[in-house]
Order: sequence, then structure tokens, then C-alpha cells
Amino acid sequence: MDYVEQRMAQEAAKPAGGASDSLFTPLNLALLGLFLYTTYTLLLKPSPPAALPKEEPAIVFRTFTPRTLLPYNGENNMPVYLAVRGRVFDVTRGRNFYGPGGPYANFAGRDASRGLACGSFDEEMLTKDLDGPLDTLADLGRDEMEALQGWEDRFSEKYLVVGKLLPVGEEDKA
Amino acid sequence: MGFFDNLLLQLDEDITGLFGQWNVYTSLIVTLFVGLLTYQIFTRRDPDTHPLLLARQAQASPVRNEGESPVYRSQSAPHGMPLNTGLNVKDLGASKWARGRDGDLRDIWRQAIAGVQDEGPAKGKTGRILTVLGTEHVTDHALDDITRQINLIGQHISDQGGNRVVIYLPNSVELIATLFACAFYNMTAIILPFDQPDDAVISMLRRSAADTVVTAPGSFPFDIVVKNYPSLRQLVWVVDEGSKHMDWNEVPQGTGGSVNVSTWQDIITDSPVDAGKVLPPLEGQKEPRDVTIFWQSKPGTVEEMVRFTAANLVSAIASQIFTLPTAQRMGPEDLFLPADSLANTHTLVLTLAALYSNASVAFNSVAPKANDLAVATRGIAPTILVTTPEALLKTHRETSSALTSVIARNLHWLQTRDLTQYGVMPAASLVTGWYDRLRPAITAKPGKLRLIFAAERVGAGTPRLSSTTISDLRIYTGARIMYALTSAKVAGAAAQTGFYDYRVFNDECSHFGPPLTSTEIMLRDTAEHKTTDALSKGEIIVRGPCVAGDEVALGVVGVMRDDNTLAYV
Repeated sequence: MDYVEQRMAQEAAKPAGGASDSLFTPLNLALLGLFLYTTYTLLLKPSPPAALPKEEPAIVFRTFTPRTLLPYNGENNMPVYLAVRGRVFDVTRGRNFYGPGGPYANFAGRDASRGLACGSFDEEMLTKDLDGPLDTLADLGRDEMEALQGWEDRFSEKYLVVGKLLPVGEEDKA
Repeated sequence: MGFFDNLLLQLDEDITGLFGQWNVYTSLIVTLFVGLLTYQIFTRRDPDTHPLLLARQAQASPVRNEGESPVYRSQSAPHGMPLNTGLNVKDLGASKWARGRDGDLRDIWRQAIAGVQDEGPAKGKTGRILTVLGTEHVTDHALDDITRQINLIGQHISDQGGNRVVIYLPNSVELIATLFACAFYNMTAIILPFDQPDDAVISMLRRSAADTVVTAPGSFPFDIVVKNYPSLRQLVWVVDEGSKHMDWNEVPQGTGGSVNVSTWQDIITDSPVDAGKVLPPLEGQKEPRDVTIFWQSKPGTVEEMVRFTAANLVSAIASQIFTLPTAQRMGPEDLFLPADSLANTHTLVLTLAALYSNASVAFNSVAPKANDLAVATRGIAPTILVTTPEALLKTHRETSSALTSVIARNLHWLQTRDLTQYGVMPAASLVTGWYDRLRPAITAKPGKLRLIFAAERVGAGTPRLSSTTISDLRIYTGARIMYALTSAKVAGAAAQTGFYDYRVFNDECSHFGPPLTSTEIMLRDTAEHKTTDALSKGEIIVRGPCVAGDEVALGVVGVMRDDNTLAYV
């Protein structure tokens, strides 16, 4: 309390009218600066219209042969594709299943129709001869075809069709 | 005293010193500052729509074909879903949750006379149908009378063996009534652009293989047509009040003996009073017939004849209803004025959408020719207007040349800032009241113009509107403006700017917004313009249920901008 009284006395002792009448005191300049800055940011500063980051470019639909599909197995940072009855699906989002080390890894980059139809994920379900004709699945029964249809429907719902699979030598046919 | 005590004392003295400088100017500055903050807080308005909704207005398909851009669709009609095919008409007694029919033109008139069906204060309200004659005289037509005209005219033409009916009329109740009559009585309606040279009329009659013409005396070269187009069987004159007393049924000697001539008014007045009051029943009605429309490109070129199925038209109408935000849809409170020719599908589709929404509709036969907003709205105060870019440009030119004073220009700048920076329509205030007298003289009391439609017609040489011009016009008229891209084979519009999109860009021709819910747009590579991963451009291809023949190449090169709106290159 002593201190307060002492300061009050000090200030009271100052001559009255000691404050400057000028506009350009440091306090006024500071406040004026603040005022002008706020005016500028609130009223005058133009802001460009809102923008979103650019979209991912669309994947170009293309024609694969068993050989050109092969690299799309998820290794070396490649996306994971697999083919079902001539349609190539981008299953990169299901990388845990279809990518390297996943339970369905054998299908990555290959024609998976027969394996899905038979419910088997073994190597021998894949077509060995990459340059030969595509698997026609002609020897499969009704149950297997139904299972395959189920898989295909699920794929079409979940994944994008990014291309079609044609045997080597027929790529030009539409 | 320790170090900190000294420091505090120093601080105390400094602060006292600083505020000791307080004087009258300081008070002034602080008052201004507080005033500014208060003004900001009290006048602050939320933008009409979220700015990010404008930042990406269409959805691109994730996969594209070689040589083509991704397919773009409206955010309201996502990929994998069907596009908007129809009006979702719920028949009486049908389950509330079942999907309605797509409907056709007949359902539009049924809805117009039935009134608003949704529960609420407006339930049962119908719109009015008005005709503007001259500058003052406005006629109000009872909906029942028009229903009677539809029935009697439809019955008359079909009794006389009419099958393909050409409608060659200015914007009028009779035009719309004949269109509905054709829909209800199983005839093909063919709408001709009005006021064409004689040889163009004959050529259009030939190409459309018409057997009946509904037209107004004075504009239709009857003698020449009879000589040159012998297939004409029937003619209905729509005679105006002034020349009703003349005998129009008489065919001049030596001409057109085989043509059955009658007048609209005679058909109506000669029938028993009770006849034609009830529309043909919904049950067992035949499949709807097509509507043929002639698309006029530049003067002197041959008009393109386009056949729209009923499905094309209802899909376009539904998408135009859907494109407005729910709170801003057309309703019984609105007065809709087509100030552009109804032979343009964009105008026709919007007018039918207004009828379906139970808005009042006014017809002014001279409005389309005038190309002037002030003339078009004489004697009537529409809240929604369809007009041409020419008319808008004229208004823009006239109003902006009046806005020369410093005050006016600053107010204009302030309002532009409201639109472009804050995304709100400028509100009326004391300050803007001064500006009001400079506004173009459109819409007298009591209506408040709230929405203007205008369309670029591909290949027709319509003047283009820049986004700056459109923004200026929003301020001048106080109405929102939707700018569309239209083409011969697309009913309604292919793309249309958003209701809340007020952004201004540095452009010669504004963008056209995203596709409507009834169209999808793709850009096909041309020799010069190719789609890359970074940019989609090429010839504009439009697909969807409102396109005649499902797909059409517009023949112009477009580009999808970063916000996924379509623009000319």
C-alpha cells in the first residue's frame, strides 16, 4: 500500500496539462497503426476464392494382356490389379489382402477368375502360359460360376474397373 | 530493492508515462476503433453457401478412356447412380414411399391445376396465368378456362384428323395450351420459332411433315403456304380481341379449298358451356408423343429440327427444378416471366418447370423480340425471369453508363465486395438506398425480382457474358443470375452456374457451372486440345436422359476448370 500511495503522490505532484496535445504522440501513433491495420485486414484486403487441392488425375482405362498386367502386383510401389473374366480391377485399396504378403497375393497382376470361382488361392489356379489364350472357364460347374459372379459383383461395388484383359495378339481388337 | 522490484517500478512508470499521453485525439482514435469493431460484428453475415462447395462443383469419374476426359457429373447425381429421369409424380392413392412415375407433359398441367401437394401453409395453392397486353393491361386467365381450351382445341384438331400440329405463335397462353392439347389428345406438337421469313416457315412445315397449323393472322403467309405446301389439312387462327368480329373462317377464293379453317375463339365459344371441363383420365392414357422443336442458329442458316421425347423434356424439367436450393425453389409466391422465345427449349423447359411448381406465369408476346428487360417487364413485376444475354448486356451498358459519380462507383465497389469476398447478396441498407434510383427500371411493385436465367446458345452467336458483367448485373438488379450452356439437342441446359455462385474471375466469357442432374459432360480430344492428367479439355460431349438421342457432341471446345465448372477454351 505504501508503494501505491507513494506513486499517487508522485503523479499528483506533476504539473497539470503536462500531456501533449499533439496527434503524434507515441500512444496515438500506435493506436492509429492498429486501427489502420484492422481496417485493412477487415475491409480492404482481397482474398481469392476458396480453392481445394487439385484432384487426383483419373486413371486411363487401358487394355492389358496377361504379360502387361504382370507388373501390377503391388511390388516396387506399383498398384495392385487383378483380372476377373476380362475386367481388370484396381484393388490397391485392398492391398492387405491382394498385395505382397497378403493371403490372395497370388492373384495380384494375374487373371484371378478360376481361383475365385473355385475358392482356391493356389498357384495352379492361374493360367501358366502368359502368351496363350485366356482361361475360358468352360469346364466349371454352375456353383463355381455362381461363386465367381458373387465375387465379381462385390468387386464392381468396391473397386474400380481400370481396364480390360485380352490375350496377347488381340490387343487391337476393341 | 532487488532487481525485479526495479524492473517492475520501471514498467509501472513507463505504462503510466504512455497512458499519460492520452489526449483528445487518442479518445477519437479509440472511438473509431471500437466503432469499426462493432460495425463488423453487427453487419457480419454468413456466406450464402459454404465457399468450399463452390471450390469443386462437379464430380469427375475416377477412370477415363484414352482420348477423353473423365466424365463429369453434378454433385447431386453421383457416379453409379442414375441421372435425374423425371418428375417423380406420385399418383393419388399410391404408396407414400414408392418411387413416383417420371411423368410427361400431361402431368405438368394436372399438377398446375391441382395446386401444391406438399403439406404446409401453401397446400392447394395454384399459380395464376397472366397475359400482358401493351404497357398496362394484364389479363388473368382462370385455370379452368385454360383446361377447357386445352380439351376443346385438342378434341377439335384430333376430330379433324390432325396428327402433326405446328404451333406458330408468339409467347402466349394459346401456345402453351396447344402444347398441352397435343399431349392430352395424342398429337405431335411442333414448335416453330415465331416471326420467320415466309420461305423459312414453308421449309419448316415441309421438314416437319405437318398437317395442322395453329397460328395468328398477320404473321402466317396463308396464301403462299397453301400454294407451296399442299399437305396442309387444317388451320386454326388465334384471333386477338380487336379483330374477333371478322369472318376468319372464310377461305379466299381460289386458294386452299381443301384446308379446313377455323378460329380458336369460335371453337371455344361454339361448344356447349359444359363441354371440355374435365381432362382425359390418367388411366389408360396412351404413350406420350414427341415434341419437335426447331433450333435457330445464326440468321440465314437452316434451322436444326430436333425431336424430343416426352422423357427428354421431363428429365430436363426435373433437373431445372432440382438445381435450385430447396429453400429457393419456385412456388405459388413466384411470378415467372419468359422474356425469351418459348421456341427455345431452355425457356420452354423453365416455363414448364414453373407451371409444375405452381408458380404464376405471365406471357408477353413482345418480350422476346424487344431484347430489353425494361420493355419485357412493363406492366408486370416478375420474381423470376428468363431472358437473353443480349437483353442483359443492354441493361448492363445502360446502367453502368449512369454510374459515373464517385459515390456511386464506391457503393458499387462495396456491393461487389459483398458478393465476391463474403459470398452474400448485398443487403438493402440506408447507404444503398441512394444507389437504388440508378438501378434499371425493371419490376415495378409488388414483386421483387429474385432470379434471372440466361443462356448461351452454342453456335448461335449469342453475345457472351463475362463473370464481371454478371456480377455487376446481380448488383444492378438485386437478383441472382444463373447462366447456362444450351444446345440444339439438349432439352433445357447442359450446364448451368450455381444459384449461390457469385465469384468473379478474369474472363471474357463466364464459366457455365457444373452439369445439371440430368446431364453428364465429357470432353473428347480434338487435334488441338487434348486432355492430360493436369487438365481436361476437348470437344464438349453431353449425355443423359434429357439429350435427344442420348449423346451429342456440341461442336465447341470446352475446358473443365479447377473448380470443375465447364467453360469455353
